Amino acid sequence: MTNLTNTISKKNKHFSMNVFILVLAIIGAVLPLIWDNPYTMQILILIFLYAAAAGAWNIIGGYAGQVSLGHVAFFGLGAYTTALLYNFFGISPWIGMILGGILAAVVAGLISYPCFRLRGPFFTLATLAFAEVLRLLSIWARPLTGGQVGVTILFNPGFKNFQFFGKTPYYYIALILMFLVLIVSIWIERSKFGYYLTALKEDHDASEALGINTAKYKLYAIAISGFLTGLCGAFYTQLLLFIEPLSVFTSHLSNQFAMIAVVGGAGTAVGPILGSVIITPLNELLRGALGGDFQGLNFVIFGAILILVVTFMPNGLVGFFKDMKAKINHRSESK
Amino acid sequence: MLEAKKICKHFEGLKAVNDVSFTIEKGEILGLIGPNGAGKTTIFNMIAAVFPLTSGEIYFNGKLISNLKKPSDVCKAGIGRTFQVVKPFGGMTVLENVMVGAFNVTNSVSEATEKAMKAMDQVGLLRRKDMLAKNLTVSDRKRLEVARALATEPQLLLLDEVMAGLNPTEVEEIIPLIRKIRDDGITIFMIEHIMASMMALSDRILVLHHGEKLAEGTPAEVTSNEKVIEAYLGGKH
Repeated sequence: MTNLTNTISKKNKHFSMNVFILVLAIIGAVLPLIWDNPYTMQILILIFLYAAAAGAWNIIGGYAGQVSLGHVAFFGLGAYTTALLYNFFGISPWIGMILGGILAAVVAGLISYPCFRLRGPFFTLATLAFAEVLRLLSIWARPLTGGQVGVTILFNPGFKNFQFFGKTPYYYIALILMFLVLIVSIWIERSKFGYYLTALKEDHDASEALGINTAKYKLYAIAISGFLTGLCGAFYTQLLLFIEPLSVFTSHLSNQFAMIAVVGGAGTAVGPILGSVIITPLNELLRGALGGDFQGLNFVIFGAILILVVTFMPNGLVGFFKDMKAKINHRSESK
Repeated sequence: MLEAKKICKHFEGLKAVNDVSFTIEKGEILGLIGPNGAGKTTIFNMIAAVFPLTSGEIYFNGKLISNLKKPSDVCKAGIGRTFQVVKPFGGMTVLENVMVGAFNVTNSVSEATEKAMKAMDQVGLLRRKDMLAKNLTVSDRKRLEVARALATEPQLLLLDEVMAGLNPTEVEEIIPLIRKIRDDGITIFMIEHIMASMMALSDRILVLHHGEKLAEGTPAEVTSNEKVIEAYLGGKH
């Protein structure tokens, strides 16, 4: 009997989540038809892109609790791979995107594996340092990357070249990217893999004693995370058709991915989306309003937001809403 | 079932466990006692591959296991363990905690749920299944440790002071529980300080003192052994 009620409540939990995804998808698909303004389109594309990247960060940083502060390394690898393969060899950015993702996944695994066998902040430090190394490398390797000047993608619009005139195609691709990350996250949450990641985040020794090869599962998580982040980088290249070390290897982006996930709710599938809906437009607004006379002030404001969130909503917006719901349920039960 | 041959563990100069040999027979409850710092938990950690042995070998079902590098390999080999200082996954529910254990033997979520329900039922935790583990009482946390280890479906279960911190009533409840686990076919190797419950449960007892084996035998033999009395109560000077 308890078994039965349990499966039913599980089904219900999945049901509301599935409905939420469906509603989100319909709104996302219909929105450009009724609100076709280039500026808002651009903001929405960025919201989706950052939601996807933060969601990718969330797989290793949220579910597995291994905080990376160098995810821009994988973003930049995806971006440069796509750009250089297209410019030098004429390889379609669609293929470049996949190859960039795979390269990012492999590199992510290689730099993380030694750290995963250690305890302490080594992983965070290694990611931070590695992203800086890649940034300097991309500046140094001028014949290949153009150095500080960056890479301009040869303009030749068409579906095969992942280049479009209007914003609408980019909008839908970004939307699909966000949903891809969301669906991967939900799959993780509902599978053995997700249980294992949460367990090893909570307690390393207990996880090992229960048969979890912690290093292996962390490796899987960082590889998936790196792959998805690489895809985001490749999309960024095609969206702006210009990349430079300062834009795709900047530590600012690493922080932003992590911050969006934390504000929205680390270790939850929808957290990064919620976080991006709030942080990304705010970022654009603040940069526009303060960028000229008060350069850097937007970072101060973001720092303040982060401090407030971790102090008052340590589980992010998703955690905050869950607590509210629990309180309301509790109150109605006691009445 | 398990055979330890002259196992040693030295931390720098300290000989935590020195030249200890023993065997565990299938289906028995072997107790491990000794004063604080005798090396009891160290022996558990050596079996569970928490750290490598300084020397000696451990065999499980005839296979060498002391060369395994990770605790997870030992769990996979069929040895479950609990921790003296309990380590619940605080942010997960009791059910989810036990499911993590059950995933050792299945990849399917529904199957893991079923196995977890069975393990929780065995230790009497079913009514707490949706509670967050961090909100459990000490006694329920101990039960959770056992349920999680049981869910991995071990042949040999290492219990590290599951009765410590419990009140006499709770101890009374947990004794039949351990006996029932043995009757279900799981061999048990347990550390305990409460002598009365150790006497009631163990088929044989191993006594450790300053990292060395002091005595071994039935509870009656061990408690009448002069060296054991001396170690616990102090010798005549």
